[in-house]
Amino acid sequence: MEAVSEQIPLEHFLVLSAILFSIGVYGVLTRRNAVLILMSVELMLNAASINMVAFAAYAAPSATIVTGIIFAIFIITVAAAEVGLALAIILNLFRNRQTANVDEVNQLKW
Amino acid sequence: MNMTDAWVLPLLPAAAFVLLALLGPYLPRRGDWIAVGAIFAAFVLALLVAADFTSALADHGAEFAGVANSVPWVEIPGSIEIRLGVHVDAITVTMLIVVSFVAFLVQFYSLGYMKGDSRYGWYYAVISLFAASMLALVLAGNFLLLYFAWELVGLCSYLLIGHYNHLRSAAEAAKKAFITTRIGDVGLLIAIILLWRETGTFDIQEVFAAAEAGAIRTEVLTASVVLLFLGAMGKSAQFPFHVWLPDAMEGPTPVSALIHAATMVVAGVYLVARTLPLFELVAGGPELVLAVGLFTTFLSAFLGLVMTDIKRVIAYSTINSLGLMFVALGVGSPAAAMLYLFTHAFFKALLFLAAGSVIHATERQEVGQLGGLWSKMPVTSATFAIGALSMAGLPFLAGFWAKDEILVALTENRAAFALALLTLPVTAIYMARVFILTFLGAPRDAEAHEHAHESPLTMALPLVALAVLTLVAGFVAFDQVGRALGFPGGIGEVIFAHEPHTFDFDIAVAAGSSVLVAVGLVAGWYAYAARTELPARVSSALRPVHVLLERKYYLDDLYQTVIDRGVLGVSRVIAWFDRNVVNDTAVNGPAETTSLIAYLLRFQQTGRVPNYALAIIVGVVALALVAFSLKT
Repeated sequence: MEAVSEQIPLEHFLVLSAILFSIGVYGVLTRRNAVLILMSVELMLNAASINMVAFAAYAAPSATIVTGIIFAIFIITVAAAEVGLALAIILNLFRNRQTANVDEVNQLKW
Repeated sequence: MNMTDAWVLPLLPAAAFVLLALLGPYLPRRGDWIAVGAIFAAFVLALLVAADFTSALADHGAEFAGVANSVPWVEIPGSIEIRLGVHVDAITVTMLIVVSFVAFLVQFYSLGYMKGDSRYGWYYAVISLFAASMLALVLAGNFLLLYFAWELVGLCSYLLIGHYNHLRSAAEAAKKAFITTRIGDVGLLIAIILLWRETGTFDIQEVFAAAEAGAIRTEVLTASVVLLFLGAMGKSAQFPFHVWLPDAMEGPTPVSALIHAATMVVAGVYLVARTLPLFELVAGGPELVLAVGLFTTFLSAFLGLVMTDIKRVIAYSTINSLGLMFVALGVGSPAAAMLYLFTHAFFKALLFLAAGSVIHATERQEVGQLGGLWSKMPVTSATFAIGALSMAGLPFLAGFWAKDEILVALTENRAAFALALLTLPVTAIYMARVFILTFLGAPRDAEAHEHAHESPLTMALPLVALAVLTLVAGFVAFDQVGRALGFPGGIGEVIFAHEPHTFDFDIAVAAGSSVLVAVGLVAGWYAYAARTELPARVSSALRPVHVLLERKYYLDDLYQTVIDRGVLGVSRVIAWFDRNVVNDTAVNGPAETTSLIAYLLRFQQTGRVPNYALAIIVGVVALALVAFSLKT
């Protein structure tokens, strides 16, 4: 079976990962809805995950080192847990403030 | 009682002080019997020490210079060794007897005088501490111990002058006394340190030995002697430090009798007498002492003529006497000075206690409100008369022998002799004045005269005892009397036995001085007792002089101006610096700056989540850049 490395250069995957990450950052900084911010954070996580898997495939194609893939599995697990927690917080916030708009929850200020 | 055990003497009144200070309020009669008992015991022990001293003199003869007994106290190997010890010789024994006896009489007198006072217990506590410190001062074998005791007596003087602490004037007078003597004390301290640096020891006899062997550099010795004398000048109220003594009359009269007549003020005389060998090694040393003493005695003689408060007149007469003592020391006759110190303690204390008797009975101290007390207070009047005549120098009273001794010593120095002679009639006049205005003539304040009564026994007995002593104490100058008492000779033989000095009785000098005294007394009598207008006419004719004297040569005003303009002016500048630079800028500055920065920085806490997210992103980017640049 031909390794992916002969067909698509590594840089393509890295650039893809970077672009996805940047979009995620843009989303975190600009979205008003808390759930959308959460979605952007998920996007950032997945971008990092792609990065890991790309290196795993290209750095040691014929070896049995699967560090990057294991890393990706961990990232998915943590992301899942974190989403559960974050959604619980947003739910509570909505119950208390009747809004999920982060611009409106700025009472903890000077 | 061995001489070497003399260190017990100060401990007795010191123990009394501790007991009264701690337990005073709970003791019956506030513990005054403890104080009086302690000082009486000290007096008895002083007599025993004197007896031991005389027997030692008999054994060793004229060469006997005294014993020392000390134990090490603080020892830093290689630098300082401080010992606690006593040195007993002829001067010490004289002072011990004077101090303990007068202190005992004064404390006994205070039983009657201070009765009913609100701070009775504390008075006895401090007066016991004073007695302890004074005894320690005269017993001290090294300079450091002397300095401790010196400062302690100053403290007790401050506390006792300010005894009537509801009076502003008493507080001011106490402050004035302490600060004025402090200026001298600084000189004394510097002198002690200088001498220690040159000789490596604080022990007085060792310093003498080093000085005589030439081990001390001349400049240092001169400086030390001058500074030492400065200390003596402060404590003994010599010009220009005499200003505290008249104001010190704000204290209770027994305090004036004890501290400002008989004991503390003679501490300076004692110091100079004790360190006379050092003075003699310095060119101009004795001359300095003589000059200061003469100037003081001359100046103060005239001030007694215009003062109207009886205590102040006696205070100025004390300054007069102290000056004379320094004159005696300055011409190298410590025996004359000690004789005068010895007799002066008795008749001056007598004068003060008699004045106290008057004040206690009439509640007045201004002569303008007294007069005609002879009939009402015979004992007081008679004893006061004896004291006043002795002060003036009437023949055969104690003061006469002492003054005569000094005049004889002065015969070589023409100018000093003339000046001293001049003070004799002046002293006689003002002593006569104060006696006549207080006790004779018509009473000027009817209510005071009504009130006047003879003093109770506790006050009258000391008066009589002192009067008797005034009559006879002068005779110790004579060899016959001295030998009868067990000493090898008169006081001249005993003090400074290595320069024995028999009492020279020069009939010419004695006659001359007696004539002058008589002239003074008669003049005083004529001026004040006979109903002439002489004093009024003289004072109006010499109005400027009278004002000068009344304002005490404007010295108090001068000092006050110096303090107001000089000291307070400088302190205002420094206070400005302290408030504005040190406090506002250096201390408050950083605090205010921190506060300001915090005030500005808080706007960072906007509460908006996207702002915080941005901050995180920016931080990460910055770190990445830094890591990247460091890697390359």
